[in-house]
Amino acid sequence: MKSREKIRSDFKKIKDAASERSMKKKSFWTGLVLIAFAAVFLEAISLLQAHYAKKGVRTEAIARAESQLNSTRNNILNIVNQVESAVRNTVWVAQWCLDVPDSLQNIPKLIVNNNPIVAGSTIALVPGYYKDRPLYAPYSAITNGEIMDKTLATPEYDYPSKEWFTKPIEKEKDYWSEPYIDTGGGEILMTTYSVPIRDKTGRIAAVLTADLDLEWLSTLVEGLKIYPSAFSTVVSRTGQIMVSPAETLVMKTNINEFASSVKDSNDLKKLNAAMLNRESGNMLITHEGEKNMVLFGPIDRTGWAINVFIPEKEIFANLDKLSSFIRILQLLGLVLLFLIMRSVANSQIRFKAINDRKEKMENELHIASRIQMSMIPKIFPPFPTRKDIDMAADIVPAKEVGGDLYDFFIRDEKLFFCIGDVSGKGVPASMVMAVTRSLFRSVSTREDNPADIVSSINDSMSDMNESNMFVTFFCGVLNLSDGTLKYCNAGHNAPLILTDRIECLNVVPNLPIGVLKGMGYQQQETSLKYDDAIFLYTDGITEAENLKHEQFGLTRLKNTLSGRKASIEHLKNVQTAVSKFVDGAPQSDDMTMLFIHYLNSNIMVAGGTPEANNGLNDNSDSSYSLRITNDIQQIRKLSELIDKIAEENKISNQLHSSINLAVEEAVTNVICYAYGEKKNMPIDINVFVREGEIKFDIEDSGKPFDPTAAPKANTASDADQRQVGGLGIHLFKNIMDSVNYSYRDGKNILSLTKRFI
Amino acid sequence: MKINTKRQEGIVTAELVGRLDTPASQEVGNDLLVLQNDADKTIILDCTALEYISSSGLRLFLTLRKAASQKGGKVIVKNINDDIRSVFMMTGFLNLFEII
Repeated sequence: MKSREKIRSDFKKIKDAASERSMKKKSFWTGLVLIAFAAVFLEAISLLQAHYAKKGVRTEAIARAESQLNSTRNNILNIVNQVESAVRNTVWVAQWCLDVPDSLQNIPKLIVNNNPIVAGSTIALVPGYYKDRPLYAPYSAITNGEIMDKTLATPEYDYPSKEWFTKPIEKEKDYWSEPYIDTGGGEILMTTYSVPIRDKTGRIAAVLTADLDLEWLSTLVEGLKIYPSAFSTVVSRTGQIMVSPAETLVMKTNINEFASSVKDSNDLKKLNAAMLNRESGNMLITHEGEKNMVLFGPIDRTGWAINVFIPEKEIFANLDKLSSFIRILQLLGLVLLFLIMRSVANSQIRFKAINDRKEKMENELHIASRIQMSMIPKIFPPFPTRKDIDMAADIVPAKEVGGDLYDFFIRDEKLFFCIGDVSGKGVPASMVMAVTRSLFRSVSTREDNPADIVSSINDSMSDMNESNMFVTFFCGVLNLSDGTLKYCNAGHNAPLILTDRIECLNVVPNLPIGVLKGMGYQQQETSLKYDDAIFLYTDGITEAENLKHEQFGLTRLKNTLSGRKASIEHLKNVQTAVSKFVDGAPQSDDMTMLFIHYLNSNIMVAGGTPEANNGLNDNSDSSYSLRITNDIQQIRKLSELIDKIAEENKISNQLHSSINLAVEEAVTNVICYAYGEKKNMPIDINVFVREGEIKFDIEDSGKPFDPTAAPKANTASDADQRQVGGLGIHLFKNIMDSVNYSYRDGKNILSLTKRFI
Repeated sequence: MKINTKRQEGIVTAELVGRLDTPASQEVGNDLLVLQNDADKTIILDCTALEYISSSGLRLFLTLRKAASQKGGKVIVKNINDDIRSVFMMTGFLNLFEII
């Protein structure tokens, strides 16, 4: 059996572990999906951000490049203007010298000398202008810092066929020649500015020129390198490449030829067309596999055009760096998020698993204790064929599992019954309860005396009581044939005994069960007459609290139990009264009740009642009564009566004095408060002396007041905080053995009892 | 019930004779409460001949005691019998008074 259970439990563990694993797996995937969503979201955000950032950066780069381009163009124009001015300023001198042909030789010298920017200059006469000189073109140039004079009027050179000579004559205006390589003084890129010279008759007589060395141009264009890999091209009006990063192309290739020589030339061709049309603007061009932003524009007067290529890669280099950095951060964040999610999920799964196991275990234990409790008698009336006993019992469990129990059965014409309350709540309490109950059943099959039953249960419980839980327990054995009730109380609250009045059964407290092994338990005995009843309960009833934290209390319980009804009715009444009293406050403790109504008609005859005999065979039963009015002075009469009773019953002086004090306080209370301002109202004091016990019943028909429910006087506080009231009640409660109050038929009845032997 | 009051060197001594029950407290209450006027001094309540005290009597004692603690005097209870001592004990009065 045991091994089978072990296998079952092992199997369960495996099952639990498997479910835990599957949950972990699930949480892993859930986490991954969530992370993926987060990643997509973040990526979308960064793409959007990158798009707008790119737009901004591009706009800025274009503006920057444009301003550089403009300044370069202005620098070029500045130089061009200098050359033009140099020539134009000399035009009038040339016109003036036309009449003296030899003096013309000084014109180029003058230009070169006065304008360092001009590399060379000539004044070339229209062939045949001077009859004696078919060709005439004196030329001056700077070579190695010195001015050299020569003539271009050689048959080899044939200046009348040169572009710089023909175009200005043809167009009758100044002209910038196409750039050319000058082979005269080394491989120098040159361009020539020519102005036609007219004589006094208005006929074009000559062309005055200035040569411009274009070496400075590429240096100037270098300044356009606002990005490390940016480059510029300057082209002439025919598309001849004048400046280029590829120096092999300079003056050797036309841009259109170049475009035809490369792949993906569509963009380049568009750019070329725009430049040759002297347009300005910017466009995106893919060149050599890279995207470039290209700005272009014409250079005035010369017919040249300039562009600048800026690789996009470089424009966005910082941006790309930044966005990769952000990407890496995002990735790290996502990984971190994922790890956190996993760890949270895992700990939750563990927590849930632990909780589930705990709950399952608690449920199982709970079921175990409920099974035990289900065996207690629950069908009422339990003995339908018996006319001598009417019983009812009930447990109203609180929300939390508690440890109340009751049980009863009849054996050999004796009713064995018990009630108990395990200290604490929860599963441990309910387990102890179940054990107690089964011990009661087994022990009471062999033992007849309650004290033996309780001792035996106590010994077993103390043996195994490692958790230090104890049980307050009351066990009774009622002889159904003669009404003898033997009982033993183990720390439980005293049951109520219902005779012609309702009072607490006189019980020796004893220790609760489970505290100490070998503990002797005192047995007590009383007897029940026909129609007497006994009500056993747990403190869940009297300590039931309403929302104001007031307790239901013994007095309310007693009032509820007044009169004789079917046992089950009594229980219903108590339940109703309690639930009405607590008025929705949560029930904190089990409420257990057991009501036994003794109805053996054989011992109904009064006087034939077998009296309990406690060895106190004092037969001097006596009673006294006194009626006084509600006047303080009447206290004296009461004292006189008590003096007399004390003397007749040989009550010791000390006891006499304190009994006197107690009764005086109780009666003073009634005198002062019961009737308010009304005078001459009666108060009855009935005194019963029986078996060494004296009992005072103080009755009045004033307003209902229960002094036993009055708040406790504070006897510990400072003089300044001491209340003047409440002392009297405190005194008689302390002095007397028991104080009971009831309100019946419009009368307050306060009973004070004191044992004097 | 009788109360004999003596004044001597800043000490007021009240000798209580008989039973201080509820009616007696009403009768002689004022004789005791008038001592509140001397609450700045030492008041000795001599209980040598006091046979019995009820809560009304205790209340008179308490009133004096409160007055004394307000005005800076003190109340000394002298020679109480065993019965009264047990009443003092039950009510916590033993701690409130200087008892000689």
